[in-house]
Amino acid sequence: MHDVRFKGEDILARQLELAEANYRRLHERRIRSVSVLGAIGSGKTTLIERAIERLSRDGLRVGTIAADSAGDDDHRRFMARGALSVNVNTQDDCHLDAHTVDHALDELPLDALDVLFVENVGNLICPADFPLGTDREIVVISVTEGDDMVRKHPKIFAQTDLVVVNKVDLAAAVDVDPQRLVSDYATLNPHGKIVLAEAKTGRGVDDILALLGFECTNTQW
Amino acid sequence: MHEYAVVDELIASLLPRLDGIPATVTAVFVRKGELRILSDRALENAFELLARGTRLEGARLVVENVPAVVHCAACAYEGPARYVGGETGHGAIPILDCPRCGSNVSIVSGRELSVDRVAILDDAVAADASR
Repeated sequence: MHDVRFKGEDILARQLELAEANYRRLHERRIRSVSVLGAIGSGKTTLIERAIERLSRDGLRVGTIAADSAGDDDHRRFMARGALSVNVNTQDDCHLDAHTVDHALDELPLDALDVLFVENVGNLICPADFPLGTDREIVVISVTEGDDMVRKHPKIFAQTDLVVVNKVDLAAAVDVDPQRLVSDYATLNPHGKIVLAEAKTGRGVDDILALLGFECTNTQW
Repeated sequence: MHEYAVVDELIASLLPRLDGIPATVTAVFVRKGELRILSDRALENAFELLARGTRLEGARLVVENVPAVVHCAACAYEGPARYVGGETGHGAIPILDCPRCGSNVSIVSGRELSVDRVAILDDAVAADASR
């Protein structure tokens, strides 16, 4: 018996190539892109709705890719806020991949867009190993997931540069101190940014958009 | 359970590379960076299932973990990452700042996921030699 060595090409090389192609495609058209990750019910959709409203008011044209296992609820919500949206059903897949995003981009009028939000399937863990080709990535958690949410997923948060703690208005009701999430995150990612937010009312949304590089000129909610 | 999607890619990319090697494959060695969010056991289970019906059926998947190495542009440190935790049984977590000066770092290794080598039986080689 003996070993045959390989050059060590990445197993996900095909995915990485597709993600890079998506990145180039968006950059050629000067579209800024953000992928949004988080567990089911963390408030990803509501946060994107607020971002659509805010950025549209500043004259930016926003597109969305709404990924869910089934249905088109999120897609409809984005369209109702004025986004140009594509619905993606991943069915039994627990995450989006670059190939699926590539097909979704085919369906979007890219020349008409300034900004693209990609909402991943509600699932914090599985999407982490599949790059999509967006400029930025944010993870949304909500206080209702418990104040141990960050330290229970240390590898994810050690590698996530922007975290949104959503539903802070409910913190007292679920007996959670948001500061514990903040301090756990600071331990795992000293250079990361974390924003306390209430997507329902828009609280914190301008801060999040500013950290994503959007200067909001109209500050009235 | 995204390990199945990963192993699916692994098998699809590995099979054509084995075309020139007629011998029986007994093990596939994968190098996995410790920053990856992938379970070794789930990868092994997925491989066992997804290899069925291919020439990799019956081969073992062996996952070799690669520690994180970081590079600091500010102070030129390059070496192992700093770790936190580990005493609660969940394993220490590599932190992506400079262990020497605290600045932001780039990742030198720790995110790889590649087939390093396969172990093969010498049956085909022996058959060739006997001709």
